[in-house]
Amino acid sequence: MHTRIGDYASRSREIIRGDLGVREAVTGATIAFDQKRLQGYAEVDADAWRRWAEGVKSHTLTHLDRYLTEAEARLEANGTEVHWAADAAEAREVVMSLAARHSVKSVVKGKSMVTEEIDLNPALEAAGIEVYETDLGEYILQLLGEEPSHILGPAIHKSLQQVQQLFADHLGSEPGGDPDTLARAARRVLRDAFIQSDMGITGGNFLVAETGTVALIENEGNIRLTTSLPRVHVAVVGIEKLVPCMADLAGFLQLTARAATGQPIGCFVSLVQGPAAHPDDDGPEEVHVVLVDNGRTNVLAHEHAWEALRCLRCGACLNACPVYRQTGGHAYGYVYSGPIGSVLDPGLLGLHEAMPLPFASSLCGACEDACPVRIPIPEMLLEWRREAQEEGLTPWKERAALKALASVATRPGLYRAAGRIGSRLGATGVARALPMLGEWAAERALPTPSGRTFRELWREGIE
Amino acid sequence: MSAGARERIMARVARATASRPGVPHPGALVTLPAEDAVDAFVKRFTISGGEVARADPERPPGEWLTGFLRGLEPQVMGVAVGPDVPPELRPGLPAVAAAHAGAGISMAWSAAADTGSLVLPSTGTRAVQLLPPVHVVWVPAARVFARLEDALRELEAELPAALGLHSGPSKSADIGRTVVTGVHGPGRCIAAFS
Amino acid sequence: MRVALFVTCLADHYFAAAAADAVRLLRHLGCEVAFPADQTCCGQPAYNAGRLGEARRMAEHTLEVFAGAPGDPGDPAAPDAPTAAEAVVLPSGSCATMVKKFYPRLLAGGADTSGSVALANRTSAAAALADRTFDLAEFIVHRLGVTELGSGLAGRKVAVHQGCHALRELRLETEPAVLLEGAGAEVVSWEAQEECCGFGGLFSVKMSAVSAAMADRKLDTLPEVDWVVSGDGGCVLHLDGRNRARGTGIEFVHLATALWRGVAGGARAAEGSDVAATHAAAARPLEVP
Repeated sequence: MHTRIGDYASRSREIIRGDLGVREAVTGATIAFDQKRLQGYAEVDADAWRRWAEGVKSHTLTHLDRYLTEAEARLEANGTEVHWAADAAEAREVVMSLAARHSVKSVVKGKSMVTEEIDLNPALEAAGIEVYETDLGEYILQLLGEEPSHILGPAIHKSLQQVQQLFADHLGSEPGGDPDTLARAARRVLRDAFIQSDMGITGGNFLVAETGTVALIENEGNIRLTTSLPRVHVAVVGIEKLVPCMADLAGFLQLTARAATGQPIGCFVSLVQGPAAHPDDDGPEEVHVVLVDNGRTNVLAHEHAWEALRCLRCGACLNACPVYRQTGGHAYGYVYSGPIGSVLDPGLLGLHEAMPLPFASSLCGACEDACPVRIPIPEMLLEWRREAQEEGLTPWKERAALKALASVATRPGLYRAAGRIGSRLGATGVARALPMLGEWAAERALPTPSGRTFRELWREGIE
Repeated sequence: MSAGARERIMARVARATASRPGVPHPGALVTLPAEDAVDAFVKRFTISGGEVARADPERPPGEWLTGFLRGLEPQVMGVAVGPDVPPELRPGLPAVAAAHAGAGISMAWSAAADTGSLVLPSTGTRAVQLLPPVHVVWVPAARVFARLEDALRELEAELPAALGLHSGPSKSADIGRTVVTGVHGPGRCIAAFS
Repeated sequence: MRVALFVTCLADHYFAAAAADAVRLLRHLGCEVAFPADQTCCGQPAYNAGRLGEARRMAEHTLEVFAGAPGDPGDPAAPDAPTAAEAVVLPSGSCATMVKKFYPRLLAGGADTSGSVALANRTSAAAALADRTFDLAEFIVHRLGVTELGSGLAGRKVAVHQGCHALRELRLETEPAVLLEGAGAEVVSWEAQEECCGFGGLFSVKMSAVSAAMADRKLDTLPEVDWVVSGDGGCVLHLDGRNRARGTGIEFVHLATALWRGVAGGARAAEGSDVAATHAAAARPLEVP
């Protein structure tokens, strides 16, 4: 996927200074999500659940070849066709050839980050296929031509007024309609799409190796419809989504929902084993699972970042993140944003491509506390920063400044002399001596040195 | 292409994990089962926006359901009934296609108390479970499990093509952070006990 | 109890009076305070930037100073202080975290850069230093077991900003508030209490707009108080810098100063503190170099 990560600093500034209400909308929504998560965690022994989930995911990832083999065999035994895609182009090709095989004219989609990652919609549309995003938030963004800004609430950066205007323009709904009226207007369009579409495309929250089950979590029912009404269901699933067995799945369904929205479970969970086989079953004739790598094995091979593959895509770290709250996901320039994006993207795309995301964090640690699978995000950010420094991907001024600090700080005499001078310089004097403070001063008043250092006060004696 | 991709990915996975010590599986997640599963299910399901109805023991359940559906607002005229709903649990209302029915009537295979979930097989027909605005699901009280894990494990040997876990009405807060129901699936989800 | 003060570079140069108040407070609580003169910066700026080589050199220097390595000139006021100190106390939650949590991690990895502390030794030295290092509030509450300080802050309404490292790494969730209440203050709850202020060291320079927006969230949600009290100088420089740039007129006080006022009852301490004085007087227009 085309990324715009490199402009993070300037784009985040534009979003913050722009008057689009993004910051208000995102802050409000994420704080609400975060509070629900805290309630959801409080109802169970969240620490024990999170340790358990970390263990199961790490176990699966350290035995991934075994579980992939098991899942493949079981999926095929269920009558599901399994496809493999090493990168985005291969994944698109698989889906496009399936669409061609079935002469697909129209596709309904469930919300899926991996299909964003592989740029599937433009490919389908280029082939003349009509694509309907059926998650309400995704549908809003599709009408706007925007990308999702949050894993869970893709349109949380949009206000009610913006949706009112959009639906009035596109769906002819009455201006100023309440959310209920607006949702009904979308439902009418999308209900027809469900009934007339030949193919349903989803992601997958989990893939159960033992039973060959693709598990999908949602609240609207659109994914159940997407996996049920069209003749063909294609699930595009990252290879890290495996869990060993149904008992594990039962735990993960609950933990994911609690982390995401505080719910005990999503209102609808689809557990897809394969195509309809029973005469009473009105489901799809064909089910396809596309197992996608697209950088995941690079992450898996990384000494530290591999743990990021435990990610459940619940969005809890985004909701907890004070950095994310200021801008929403668009500032990050890639489908995975927020804290998890900042550690995952360098692994998926290569560190060079993902700069400066490892630095887009104050290292406050709120993400790690929220994460249901205990991904050590701050530690991982530091690791990416270390690699960025080693590969010379940071500004030379910054490197020089820190080298100078270390030189001074390991020579006490020099340190004391520099401190005495610095303390007498006054605010602007210090700023002149440390040019990096220019950025600081663009937003804040300069700090004023004490005049005399503590060690001078100490020498004179503290009464 | 696909076969080649498989070998490449599997080789990369094997290489990536070769030198990393395997992490042992932590075993089962320990959760405390509720003592009264039906009671716990009712509480949880209700909190999530689901509704619970109990058939009048004095009347045949199908007849009770007919009255119940007629009493809903808007009144249900036609119903779509799952093929696995036994005759005595079927309402005496005209059968219509699911897309036009006022209510879908299903039979749950089981239910889970800790998540407030109804376990619905794809053979109950998905259209019945998803298209009508109201979904009434008969729940056999003896098959309400305390934990979702127990309900899913019991099914492992005889999984249908698909299962739906329904734990409340269809809802979304994607517009203006206001919760609306009945977005795509049923806006009312009613668990009925006979 | 004999205590070595690790004043930290920021407090040495920007919060000198607050650091002096920390000394007064510790002495008042019965501690003998030493100040090893060769101490410099803990190395956190380099550590957070991913420059582990530089961070390690600074960490090794700090280990030598506070472990009382051979050649340490010590302090004229208490020549044998560093080696004998039972605890190292920092008036900064973030720097305390660096020593307690990050030194052991940092010094377990990488090549031996200085040669002065052998690789094998420095890991155990880091662990030993981590064990006896404390954030000021942590030290008073958990090591000294003191929560009642006096009544000098009676009638003061304060809000607490706890630095993220102290909060989430050291899990010092209540200690500053407990001490402030123990000094007579009314601690007011703050909607954004546990949210990061956006300082983050280098982050505040590299991602300046986001950092400032985070400060705004803190300032915009601040309830009506007399002071905002924090044990983290970096957070205060950033929050107060934003406060002064916006002309919000909020008064920031270092935790050490606030607590010492609590003990000393206001009159005496007021003249000893330059934090409030500096910052209150500094409600002047934004200076750009």
